[in-house]
Amino acid sequence: MASVGIKDIRKAYGSTEVIHGINVEILDGEFVTLVGPSGCGKSTLLRMIAGLEEITSGEIRIGERVVNDVPPKERDIAMVFQNYALYPHMTVADNMAFSLKLKRAPKAEIAARVDKAAGILGLRSLLARYPRQLSGGQRQRVAMGRAIVRDPQVFLFDEPLSNLDAKLRVAMRAEIKDLHQRLGTTTVYVTHDQIEAMTMADKIVVLHDGHVEQIGAPLELYDRPANLFVAGFIGSPAMNVLKGRISGAGGRPAFKAENGVEMPLASAPGASEGKPAAYGFRPEHLRLVQDGVPAEVVVVEPTGSETQVMLKLGGSDIVAVFRDRIAARPGEIIKIAPDLANVHLFDAESGERLAA
Amino acid sequence: MNPLSAAKPFAGKSVAYPRRAPLAAFALIYTIVSGGPFLWVAMMSLRTTPEIFASPYALPSSIHWEKFVDAWTKSNYGTYFWNSTIVVVTAVALLTIIGAMVAHCLARYRFRGNRVVRFIVLSGLILPPQLMILSLFQILLEYRLYNTLTGLIIVYVAGHLAITVYILEGFFAQIPQDLFDAARLDGYSDLEIFWRITLPIGVPALFTTVTLNFIILWNEFLYAVVLLTEDDKRTLPLGIMHFMGNHQLDVGMVATGLMIAIGPVILLYAFFSETMIKGMTAGAVR
Repeated sequence: MASVGIKDIRKAYGSTEVIHGINVEILDGEFVTLVGPSGCGKSTLLRMIAGLEEITSGEIRIGERVVNDVPPKERDIAMVFQNYALYPHMTVADNMAFSLKLKRAPKAEIAARVDKAAGILGLRSLLARYPRQLSGGQRQRVAMGRAIVRDPQVFLFDEPLSNLDAKLRVAMRAEIKDLHQRLGTTTVYVTHDQIEAMTMADKIVVLHDGHVEQIGAPLELYDRPANLFVAGFIGSPAMNVLKGRISGAGGRPAFKAENGVEMPLASAPGASEGKPAAYGFRPEHLRLVQDGVPAEVVVVEPTGSETQVMLKLGGSDIVAVFRDRIAARPGEIIKIAPDLANVHLFDAESGERLAA
Repeated sequence: MNPLSAAKPFAGKSVAYPRRAPLAAFALIYTIVSGGPFLWVAMMSLRTTPEIFASPYALPSSIHWEKFVDAWTKSNYGTYFWNSTIVVVTAVALLTIIGAMVAHCLARYRFRGNRVVRFIVLSGLILPPQLMILSLFQILLEYRLYNTLTGLIIVYVAGHLAITVYILEGFFAQIPQDLFDAARLDGYSDLEIFWRITLPIGVPALFTTVTLNFIILWNEFLYAVVLLTEDDKRTLPLGIMHFMGNHQLDVGMVATGLMIAIGPVILLYAFFSETMIKGMTAGAVR
């Protein structure tokens, strides 16, 4: 196992820079996800760690060693790909043994390691099969087996679950997390699915347009997003955001939205009166109260465990999620108020979080 | 019993039969048109020329297997067959290896001039052989390759590289990039990736090009007739011409010669036609 250090990494294709100076420190044994919308540079960053993509400038360190110029096979890493990348002309056992054979490991050792990995992943009965004879989930498990066999310092996963159906994805998610807990190997995991990132990671790196937007523990990102991008990206349904100005009329801090609605604030950031800002609150942080802000019900979606309600709040669309089963009908007016402790304020221009 | 359920199978058959009839008729006509001449030649190959002139379409009254022995021994067919085998097997082997390497590079690597190289290689597809034959004749003369099997092999390889690369590149480009990345992580060099990943996975496409090139080159006449003149250098298609002199036409021996020439092609097609069709359509549907 090893730590991974990414220091001021840049990547340019010709004159187009796609990664603009990224710094991430991944601790020994940590599970880190790189998450962001497509085109944000997360896969490129992972491929640079793997050595499949050249680094334009900066430094990547695995353990104590700077690996900028080390070829992929000598970086002591193992990668699991989105398309599984199993060799179609080899059996499961050969696929798993392949890298060890290339390293000329003794036969007995290869057999022992393949057997151990097959045991961990429940693949023993499939060892003689070819990849085309396996289901998607089994193929992905073989791809992981191939990585485990190498006993690497770092596991790299490149959107490994995106080709699986929803149900299998949830099961494999738990399996990968369980695997990490058992093996304790440092893991870097790329995904565009924020739920995958939230549920699996010790630490999430949110990327956007080749920049790091925020690094932190999953709940830290959820509870205190550093900017509007993270606020909108993490959480499903997404955080509701209203644009407007902070007002302090009558000594009571409030937020006056552009659509005319006035929303309550616990406190206003210093010297912020009249300042343009964005007011964010998560759907589950809305309560039904007598003296709340009136909103019109548009759609009610009961899921059983909770009720999701689409609302029109002064002309803006917002979403509310209630644990209770509410019997509102479309067109009805309900009165709502956000939980003041969970209101987020962001600078209207930079999108950065404003200290409340 | 419900009368409706009993009537169903009949109803099904009576609907399906008229619909299939035109298709069956078409298949029958097609088989007669394409297989008829072949059968006719096969029958003639077992009859003597006077017999054929007496009654062109008759079945063999007595079977003359000795005509095959005559063709092979007296008419130099053994030499022609051997020449054809050397030329075609060598050319197809070279085409497969060189073509696969070119296709692999074009499909895999983004390098400066990639498009130019592709254009130059594939432009061979649109050049008619008649256009090249004089210049090839001149070049081979200058390099003392005229009237040699080596010269013909080189011409065949050059002439068929374009179609070979075209078929293989389309197939290789569909092998997921992840597979090559995985191989690099596992420690394969570029050449090993070609030998151990691209080639084994590309077997269906390779079968296609091998079969296609073999059939076309085995029957190739134009280049061979211009570039080979000595009798003991000739390939099979030229050998058949041997029986079509200016003053005589030995129809019976021409038929026997054709049957000898067709043999390997039919064998190859019988074994590989399915793989070949799979390889050709693999790129079309995904």
